[in-house]
Formats: sequence, structure tokens, C-alpha cells
Amino acid sequence: MTFLLDLLSSSYPRDLMEGMVVNFNIAAIALVLGMVLGAPLIFLQLLGRRWHGGSAALIGLMRAAPTFVVMFFLLNIIPKEFEFLGMKLSLSGGLIVALSLVPYAASYIADNGRAALEGLRSGSRAEALLLLPSLVRAYVVLVMSSSAGVAIGVNEGVAVVLRKADSFSTTSEQLLVFAVGVFAFGAVFQLGFALVRLMVHLLSDRRSGTAKA
Amino acid sequence: MKALIQRMRAGLWALCAFLLWGALAPAGATSPDEALEALLAEARARMPEACANPAGDKLMEILCNGQMRVGVRGNYPLFASRTGDGSDREGYDTDVARAIATRLGVTPEWVVVRAATRISALAEDSADLVVATMGHNTRRDTQATFIRPHYYSSETIVVGPRTQAIADWPDVVGRRVCTTIGNYANSHLVTQGVRLMLFEDGGRLPKALDEQVCTIVAHDDSFLASYLAVPEFGARFERKFGFDQVPWGMAVAQTGTESFARALQLISQIMHRDGQFLAIAQKNGVFTSFLEAQNRLWQTPSCASIAALEDPACVLPALDATPTPTQFADEINAMLAWSKANLGFAPDLPMLTSVSAFELFKSGIVNSLILVFGALMATLIFALTIGFLAVLPFWPVRLVTWAVTAVIQSTPVILILVVAAVVATAIFTYSPAVALGSAIVALGMMNGANAGQAIGEAAGSLRREGAYGRGFSLPLLRAAVGRSRAQLLSFLVNAAKGTPIASFTGAPELLSALTDITSFAAGQVTTYSVVLIFYIAVVYVVVWGCERARRALETRETVQ
Repeated sequence: MTFLLDLLSSSYPRDLMEGMVVNFNIAAIALVLGMVLGAPLIFLQLLGRRWHGGSAALIGLMRAAPTFVVMFFLLNIIPKEFEFLGMKLSLSGGLIVALSLVPYAASYIADNGRAALEGLRSGSRAEALLLLPSLVRAYVVLVMSSSAGVAIGVNEGVAVVLRKADSFSTTSEQLLVFAVGVFAFGAVFQLGFALVRLMVHLLSDRRSGTAKA
Repeated sequence: MKALIQRMRAGLWALCAFLLWGALAPAGATSPDEALEALLAEARARMPEACANPAGDKLMEILCNGQMRVGVRGNYPLFASRTGDGSDREGYDTDVARAIATRLGVTPEWVVVRAATRISALAEDSADLVVATMGHNTRRDTQATFIRPHYYSSETIVVGPRTQAIADWPDVVGRRVCTTIGNYANSHLVTQGVRLMLFEDGGRLPKALDEQVCTIVAHDDSFLASYLAVPEFGARFERKFGFDQVPWGMAVAQTGTESFARALQLISQIMHRDGQFLAIAQKNGVFTSFLEAQNRLWQTPSCASIAALEDPACVLPALDATPTPTQFADEINAMLAWSKANLGFAPDLPMLTSVSAFELFKSGIVNSLILVFGALMATLIFALTIGFLAVLPFWPVRLVTWAVTAVIQSTPVILILVVAAVVATAIFTYSPAVALGSAIVALGMMNGANAGQAIGEAAGSLRREGAYGRGFSLPLLRAAVGRSRAQLLSFLVNAAKGTPIASFTGAPELLSALTDITSFAAGQVTTYSVVLIFYIAVVYVVVWGCERARRALETRETVQ
């Protein structure tokens, strides 16, 4: 108990929060880039059989690509500094993690975006609005997945947890450090999914209201 | 036959060296001091006439010009860097070059070289001598003439916090060690069971230690020495142990430098014997253990004469950095040459051309397949177990199952893997097999919990439909599994997709194996492309298998 109180009164909770902000940022970048890449795929899927086949294969490939391997692939393939439109750009570890999450995010957006557009086509605005909770769900999943960045030295939430655990020698102390980390990530996850459930509930009410009218 | 030719070639070289030695060694000179004096006197006797045409004799050229162009590193703290006011250069390498110039009676002129231009500077004649933190290995022996005895030796050192007790390999097995890509010593590190985190640039390692991104780093001692010499850094971190010593050589061009190389050899022998190298090292604050040993060695009677310069008991050999080729390396290289000539490109395939890399590659593939199969089985077992508990009509059991599932669901997978590895190593001694096993359990738990929850929810919906009553029955469980098969199969795919993450906790799967290979060999692009294609193919096979299983289950249900 004393150890837990010491742990909570140390800089650990603050460091953990700061690390998790990195996770939030990575997830936000991945989601935005996923939307940029996923949006054209939604329309390609709706264009006709010929385009649908090609885009479905691409989405399948993006869905099958393991994020962790994609991250190492990008880390070792993309030059650390490169020129784009005359500007010298350099890729940070965080950006590489975000890019590695883009295939997953884009395939997710393409799948859910298509369902939303089909709902809109069939006249159900509420069904199309279900895309919003799907985006929140994707964001929460991306926050959790961004913790893979610890493997390439990104100073995110799990990196803070592991670093702190590494400073203790006994397994019980380390497990307590992990428990605090699990609680922090769990709170984000549960809050995120509570928001998803609430949004789905509100939209379902609206849908049934529209149907009754 | 090949071995015989090699032996004959070696014998011929030895004969040539002996004849050259006889030609260059002044008659009667046995001590290096006498031999050097005689060599320089003989050269000076030919001056100034020979200065009109010094071509082909580097020593004569240097003596005539009164200057020696020395290639040194631009900014390599403690070895070669600018002085505070920028007017001159300081460090071990530059002081060694100054001492040599003094013995030759000339002044040094600095030519800044980089790691990549050290040898080409000699070939292009932009430097007479290179003293630039250069390791002497068998590959470089074919490109420049290295001066022996070696003027320094570095080793790879493991540096970590002073608060942690790390004395030897057993203390770092299974732990993450940060190092740089392409470091020769990495091949040694990976065989010791440490996990590597690779950085492109050595300059990031001390920062990573400082920012606690890394707890342990391994790099060249000559590089880390300058950081350890900084009081604030040195107060927190220390050298734990060292390995893979590499002798450093001054080098000259391969042609026209016989007399010059001879003079440098003799000077090096004298400087070791008299402790001059050691004094320069002490003055510059670099590690001195090698120089202390060399100082003692060259003072012994058996290494006192000039004959010792050819004695393997006195001079060190070049480091043999050539990896053992695989049996089919020639075929692979021929195929790559054909590809280069006909297709315009040839990928680097280190995993097929060297024995150590090929062994890592093979075991990586086997372990990956074990991991994928294990993760699928574990997911299935956990899903059915958690599903069974979730179907039971006892609310306390269901509550505990829900709580465990909620915790597992809301934890990043990498954290679950680490916790599983910590628990496993608390029970068993760490080994790659334990890492593999704990990863299988963690992946199975993560995906099985989600699938198990889906089974529980399906059972709930079946109960609400009133077909199976409120209690537990096997038909209910079977029907719940059938109803939730889409989720079950999707979490099986997810488990297969997640397997490469196991490399983080040291499971020796393909990503881990290929990362190890790229740490000491070229071909990053090919290597990571191979691992990406491999895992995508594995996921596709699992998706295909799950799809077939789904169809088979559906067909069975239709028949029933």
C-alpha cells in the first residue's frame, strides 16, 4: 500500500499522462491520414464492379498488413530526412508509428464509410450518422495500437510504464507499476467505448423515432 | 586444391615480405631505434637530389616537403576535434600524428576525413597517412597498408546506470540493449540472447540513455568515452563490460609507400616500448588498458628487436570480419549479378549469403510458424474457456469473467505481452522458448477474451429467445459458439496478425531474427520487405483457413 501511495505521489502519473498525450496525437494523425486515404476507397467501392474489385483487394491487403511489421518496414525504408515540395522534412518516431497505423485506419474508414453511404442512399440519415461512433471506436483502437511505438523508442504511455517498471527490481513492484498503466489505458478505453455506446444509443433512438414518424 | 593454392600464395607473400624486409632493413640494425635512424639517414643522404623526382617514394616526398598530410576525423571527441578557440586540433589521433611528424622532422598538415573517405583519401593521394579511428580488418587490408603494431584498440562496451549491477552477459540476457545499425559487434550481441533496439546514429545513444528511452547501450568505447568523461553523465552511467576488441591501424596507400610504412612501423614499435602512446592516451583521457598491455609487451626481450615486427606473438592480426558464406552463397551471388546486369537491380540478401544470418533466418521462420499456430490454438482455448464461464448461470462467476475480460480488453497488447513475459520470467529462467511461450499465452488471452465475451453475449441472446432455458447446457454452449463464429474467426485472424509484436519481448520470430541480421549486415530494404510479405502471406493463409472453417460450419448447420 505504501509503495502504491509512493508511486502515485511520484512523477509517474504525470509522466504517464504526458506519454499518453503522445498516444492521443499519434492516433489523431493516423485517423486523419486514414480518412484521407480511406475516403477515395469508399467511392471506388461504390463506382462499379471493376473498381470495386481493385479497391476491395487493396482494402484486404491493408487489413492484412500487421501494424508492427509495417512500422519496422517504414522505419527502415523511409529516409530519415527527405525533400518534399522543396522543403526539408524529417520523420519522427511518432510520425512513423502514425503512418504504420494508416493502413488499418484507411481500411476501417473504407468499410464503415461505405456502410454509411449505403445507408444514406437508402434514405436513412441516422444510419449514416453511425459513422461517428465508428470513428470514435477507431480512434480508441488507434490510441491502444500506438503503444507499439515503444519498440522504436517513441516516448509514449507504455514506454513510460516500462521505464518506471524497469527501475524496480521485484516482480510485485513491477506488477503494481503495470497495474497503474493498465488502469490509465483502461480508463481511456472504457470512456471511449462508453461514448460510442451513448452515441449509438442516441442514434438508435433517433432512427426508431424517424421510423415511427 | 584450393587450400593448396591458398597456402602457396601465403608462402609467396611471406617470402616477398622477407625479401622486402631484407632490402629495407639496414645491415646490422636490430633495435628499432637504430633501424629508424639508419632508414631516415639513408633517405636524407639522397636529398636534395632525390627531391627533384620523389615519385614513387612517399617517405622521400614527405621529407623533401617538410610536411606530412595526415587524414584525421573532423569531430571525434577525445580523438580528433578542434581546440576550443578553433585554431588547432586536439585528441589522441592528432597527438599521435604530431609525435610521428616530430620523429620524422616534419610538420603535420591536417586533412579532414570521414569514415567513408578514410581509405579513398589515401588512394586519391589527398593524404599521406590516415590516423582516423580506423579499425583494422581483413577486408580493409586489401584496400590500404595498415601499420602494425596497432596504435590503439577499441572494443564495444556495454554502458548502463551505475545503480544497476551488470557485470557480464548473464546480466543482460533477455534485456533490451540499444545500439547502432551496421555495428560489427552486433552479430556477437544477438548470439548472447539480448534484444536489440537499433539507432541509425551513435550520437543518439547517450541521449537515449539520458532520456531513459534505453537503459543499456552498447557501442564503441572510443565513442562513449567522451560522454562518460562528462561529470554529470559519468556520475549516472558507467562502463559495465567490454567485448569484441578491434585493433586500430594507421594506414598509408598501398603503392609507393614501402619506406614510409617501414618508418611508421618502427616508430610505432618505439612509441609502444617507451610508453609514448600510453602517455598521449592518458593526456587525452581515453581508455588505456590496451596500450598498457602493449607497453609491457614491447618491453619484453622477445619483442625488443625489429624481428618482432614479423612475429605473431608481438603484433596482432587484423580482425577477421568476413562472415562465413553459406554453401549456396556463390549461386546466390551469381543470381544477383545476373539480376543486376539484366534487370538493373539486385537486392541485398544477407540472410542467404552468410551462415550466421541464414541460421537466424531459418529459425525465425520456424519460430514464427510455431508462434502463429500457438497463438491460434491459445485464442481458441481461451475463447472456449471464457465463453464457458460466461455461459454459466452463476452471476459471481460471470462477474469475475466480465471483470477479467474488461481489463484484458482495455490494455494495450504490448503491455499484456510485457506483463506475461515478466510473470513467466519470475517463474522460469528467461530463454527464447519462455519468451515464445509467454507471447503465445498473451496473444491467446487478448484475443480469446474478446471471442469468449462474444460467446457469452451469443448465449445471452439465445436465452432471451427462450430456446435453451435459463440454466447451462452443452447444446447452449455449442449454439453460442456457432452464433459467435464470425467474431471467433475474426479474433483468430487478429491473433495471427498480432504475432510479430512478440518480438518486443524477445520471442525469436522472423521480425526479431531479421532485425538482428540487419544490425550487422546490409540489406535493410530487402530484409524488411521479406518480413512484411511473409506476415501478410501468413495472415492471408489464416483468413483463407478461417473462411473455409466458416463455410464448413455453415454447411453442417444447413444439413442438420
